[in-house]
Amino acid sequence: MSRDLRIAVIDKNPLRAAILEDGLRAAGHLNVVHIDDTADLLDRIHAIDPDVILIDLESPSRDILEHMFKVSRSVARPIAMFVDRSDAAMIDAAIDAGISAYIVDGLRKDRVKPILDITISRFNAFAKLKKELQSAKSQLEDRKMIDRAKLLVMRAKSIPEDQAYALMRQVAMNENKKIAEVARSIITAAELLR
Amino acid sequence: MTKRLRIGYVPLTDAALLHVAKAQNFAAARGIEMELVADVSWANIRDKLVAGYFDAAHMLAPAAIAVSLGIGHIKAPLLAPVALGLNGNAITVSNTLFEALLQEAQGDMANPRVTAKALAKVVAKRRQSGEPQLTLGHVFPFSSHHYQLRLWLRAGCIDPDEDVRLTVVPPPFMVETLRKGQVDGFCVGAPWNSLAVAAGTGAILHQGTDIVRDCPEKVLAVRAAWALSHEREISALAEAVADASRWAAVPGNRSALVTLLANTAEHAVSTATIDSILDTPGSPSGTALAATGLRLDEEAIKADPAQALWLFAQMVAAGQTDYSDALAEAAAAVYAPALGPPIPHTTATPAVFDGPAFSPNDIPSYLAALENRRTRAG
Repeated sequence: MSRDLRIAVIDKNPLRAAILEDGLRAAGHLNVVHIDDTADLLDRIHAIDPDVILIDLESPSRDILEHMFKVSRSVARPIAMFVDRSDAAMIDAAIDAGISAYIVDGLRKDRVKPILDITISRFNAFAKLKKELQSAKSQLEDRKMIDRAKLLVMRAKSIPEDQAYALMRQVAMNENKKIAEVARSIITAAELLR
Repeated sequence: MTKRLRIGYVPLTDAALLHVAKAQNFAAARGIEMELVADVSWANIRDKLVAGYFDAAHMLAPAAIAVSLGIGHIKAPLLAPVALGLNGNAITVSNTLFEALLQEAQGDMANPRVTAKALAKVVAKRRQSGEPQLTLGHVFPFSSHHYQLRLWLRAGCIDPDEDVRLTVVPPPFMVETLRKGQVDGFCVGAPWNSLAVAAGTGAILHQGTDIVRDCPEKVLAVRAAWALSHEREISALAEAVADASRWAAVPGNRSALVTLLANTAEHAVSTATIDSILDTPGSPSGTALAATGLRLDEEAIKADPAQALWLFAQMVAAGQTDYSDALAEAAAAVYAPALGPPIPHTTATPAVFDGPAFSPNDIPSYLAALENRRTRAG
């Protein structure tokens, strides 16, 4: 059996890197090193001598790797960009997920593909999680705004809570807006008139 | 009908004409809605253009040629209907290296021949005393920044592959790596040299124009296959870039241009810095230190195949590819002025401060002359 592949993960998001590392370990890749997106990248990679480098597309350091695979003098073994370019679906999926990969020249595609699959799916899962978290946050934010606005309306018009809410909903419907937007306008106006 | 185009760019001062074309509604007037998408690396720009995520991109001219020729694993023919400017780079060195060069310099430090020879002495001394090689940064293997460094080194008979360490440093990291001593100098575009000087970490040694006058820089690149079915859009976009170029050349628009570029810059750059970046070096009106000679005028945006050939010759000289007539022809074809706006001016030919004159009609002789010089020197 061939030896464990050494995988370097370059990602400035430590949480996402940990999630990816976890996924790779679960698939039996125990030799994973996370490199922070720092300026001494070449030295770090030189020391690790990885077979596969996975890099976050948001990292400007990608251009350093481009240089590495042109000038093999700076690394022990020549490095090439992942998958042959005929594999358009894989490239699309990788760009969508926000990753790119570099592999040691000559490494068999069937050994690399599962690693890329895991990386793409973990990156996507992380993005989904982040989106859900953001959406939950903004929902919570909306609810707080609506409650504040409701109080303002109750005080200004001396009406009970349910009527204040019904009034805001009516305005939102009439103006084709979200109730949270109406609430924000009420708060802004109240601050202005204070 | 308005057509929406996604255009990738790297936030540098020389993305100027794209910002102008959008902000001044030149594109909109020609039926193009420009969605400008900032990206962090040239590799991303290339991949996203090739994969169709971008319809067009602000691209290093040599990178567009390299990918069209299939140098470096990816082959996808691209076309540049218009260039986005000339010049704009500078070589900045650490304060330590600047002092060392000053010690060795015999003559005017403003002369790159003098500094290149001084650098050769610094390199030799370091070798004798067992110090590590000097490290010089540039932005991408296929970049005029890389070739400008090589041309400067060559004038000092310094082998760029053996005597120094050339490495890529992403521009946002340049100032920091210089401060930490991880690089001793770099060649980068605006506004990064000015920012290194402002941070007190380095000194601008030469403007790019001191090394290569009218050096090709970025182009507007599109996929050749896409161009076949989108001639109207490409033409409209390229015309909008030409409108932007004419607008930027009007002196009365200067302050609006400077404000736009300061607002679209990703890192904090003062309007004063942008203003001086746009100056011609040595012009009486500008601060000579930061003036880059970045040209955005009409002559500077003509996609002249002779410029592509000059870049191709630099690629061969850098050992990135072998020379063949077929490759030269393919490189020249990347610059596609027929798809761009009609520009009546003659195009500027890149002129290097040292070494043989370039003739697009006889690249092998040019390369041989470069090589001879090197052998004689070595």
